[in-house]
Amino acid sequence: MRKKLLAVTLAMTMAASLAGCGDSGSGGGNSGSGGGGNSGSSGGKVSFTIFNSKSEIQEFLEEAVEKYCEENNVDIEVYYSQDTVAAHLSTKYASKEPYALSMTDAKDIYSLGVEYGYDMSGAKWIDDTDYEITVDGKVLGFPCAIEARGILYNAHAIKEVTGEDFDPDSIKTLDDFDKFCQKLVDAGMESPTAILKPDWSLGGHFLMQVYEERKDPEAFIQSLHKGEADLANDEKYNALMDTFDVLMKYNAFKSGPVSAEDEMVHQKMSEGEIAFQFGGCWEWNDLVDYDYTGDIGIMPVPQNLQDDYTGCLVGGGSKYFYIDNSEYTTDEQREAAMAFLEWFASSDDGKKLVSETCGIVSPFNSNTIECNNDLGKSVKKYVDEGKLIPNYDYAPDDHYAKNGATMQEYLAGQIDRAGLATKVEDYWKSTTPVEH
Amino acid sequence: MNTNTMSYKCKQFMMFAGLTTIAFVAVVIIPFIYGLYLTFTSWDGVSREKPFVALANYASTFADSAYWQAIGRTLIYSVIAVILVNVVAFTLAFLVTSGVKGQNFFRAGFFIPNLIGGIVLGYIWKFVFNRAFVAIGSAITSGTATSLLATTNGAMFCMIIVSVWQYAGYMMLIYVAGFMSVSADVLEAARIDGCTNMQSIIHISIPLMVSSFVQCLFLTVTRCFMVYDVNLSLTKGDPFGSSVMAAMHVYNQAFTYKNYGTGQAEAMVLFIICAVVGVLQVYIGKKAEVSA
Repeated sequence: MRKKLLAVTLAMTMAASLAGCGDSGSGGGNSGSGGGGNSGSSGGKVSFTIFNSKSEIQEFLEEAVEKYCEENNVDIEVYYSQDTVAAHLSTKYASKEPYALSMTDAKDIYSLGVEYGYDMSGAKWIDDTDYEITVDGKVLGFPCAIEARGILYNAHAIKEVTGEDFDPDSIKTLDDFDKFCQKLVDAGMESPTAILKPDWSLGGHFLMQVYEERKDPEAFIQSLHKGEADLANDEKYNALMDTFDVLMKYNAFKSGPVSAEDEMVHQKMSEGEIAFQFGGCWEWNDLVDYDYTGDIGIMPVPQNLQDDYTGCLVGGGSKYFYIDNSEYTTDEQREAAMAFLEWFASSDDGKKLVSETCGIVSPFNSNTIECNNDLGKSVKKYVDEGKLIPNYDYAPDDHYAKNGATMQEYLAGQIDRAGLATKVEDYWKSTTPVEH
Repeated sequence: MNTNTMSYKCKQFMMFAGLTTIAFVAVVIIPFIYGLYLTFTSWDGVSREKPFVALANYASTFADSAYWQAIGRTLIYSVIAVILVNVVAFTLAFLVTSGVKGQNFFRAGFFIPNLIGGIVLGYIWKFVFNRAFVAIGSAITSGTATSLLATTNGAMFCMIIVSVWQYAGYMMLIYVAGFMSVSADVLEAARIDGCTNMQSIIHISIPLMVSSFVQCLFLTVTRCFMVYDVNLSLTKGDPFGSSVMAAMHVYNQAFTYKNYGTGQAEAMVLFIICAVVGVLQVYIGKKAEVSA
């Protein structure tokens, strides 16, 4: 009898726990990393969850949110996950506990936001920015930051070696850049450049500039897809690959370019062992981890091809919030999330959080607080001068991985420029461009 | 009491195996069937809609050359790793059962790598291959040595080394149990009949511990085919995607490229390959089992 009782008790416990797994009730768990779900309201307070995908600001965001909660009588939990954003959010939707507010990349807004995004049209912040994402007349993406890419330079290291102040504007062409690198070598800097080898940098950033730095990127992508574009003889492709060749020529990791870990590149850049590196302003937090020399900035990728894009960085809105529009988030929570975004964009505390604490370049015109880091300041200068070529956010999800691998082959000297062009063309012929 | 009725049998079954059956069905069978259903849809992993596409995902799977390359790569890696893991494990087991001083200490020492998670193990070895070996190589050759992880074959070699390091200790324990299960009487009889040490291992111990081989081979084959954690942290598929194993390709397809249906179909094909290899190996191994 006792055994029977025990068996029945265990069975009931198990059944209850299984039922618990599928329950999306209002008491859903709100603790632990990446474990949050929307929990409606508690004790008269509206409570909701935020998913942050910028790991470097997690701590700052949590602190700011805590203060915001106290002042606004809401209850917000901020979560972060190391997982791929789309993969993480898919598990949240599968468990019927999506975040009310999720920070994703722009491309995710076009895929996820279209189905799950709440139309934020009418929000005040929209008039204050040029970087919101609108799909089919609905404002779905709230821009969190402006990020840009180009050549990072360490002016301190350059001055140490040459004894002269570095003026990035003096590098107008690739020939200038090549000569300058040679000058650094002659002055004693063994290898003035380094290249980040991850596929997201090579395929998702450098190669993308071949599409982005032209009048109609979409038409060019379509011509690649149809097999009409001749990449090997394309002016822009060759101009950028000429630059890549110069970066390879002076690469500090020339003997093993595809085994150079990001940390090794960042350390050399931060400590002034090298002077130039292709990258973006988001690398600030990685650079200051070391014995930072100070005086790092960003400049456009130098090319001998002089066109409308010369002297510009490539970038734009990066990391977007969308508000969940599914049945798992209540109207109250959506309103609270909208209020939070308004605070993030327009309040003094929100502006300080973005520019001073997190060192992000704000996409909002009314935020005039100076960004607290060198790279951010550098990017802001180009933004203010209107020298920012927009990102192309519609590349298929496998673009960076597949073409990044091809770029790695080029970097390792396994294929030549024509071979690279053929592989990129083959990729586009075999894939379907994203409709938008 | 009639013990031959269906209701009695059901009650008995539920009493003894009910809980585990419920758990097994809930966490294995139902997800498996649901996963099978998803292979017939073009779901992107997040959307509410799961459009039915019949066998299109299986067609994509068979047309996905990168997937088959990853399968081929996994096969090569598995064959080499399985052989090496088992040879090393068997040798270690022999050494730590031969009566050497401190053999329990060695047993624990060889087993420890298995207690370190695959992700951590991958990062540790990445440091060793990329920094330590390169520094040593550069010092010895007075030049610039390159990392093994920078070349296609080198990355594969590193994966194998790490797998052997990770699994050899675990398999060693199974072989140790095998060695200890061989009756001392039989070994003594063999020695009296004039067997040398080597002969008694080959003709007495090995045939009597076939079940250990079956277990070890099954475990290593399935683990090597499904390798993901070490792959992710050690090589992440680099260089140039040349070390992407089957499980990593499936993950990328489903979650990174957002082709959940195709990824699921590829996972299903991988499962079938693993199941066939695993069952065949166990079947053949069981036939070879003998008892004293």
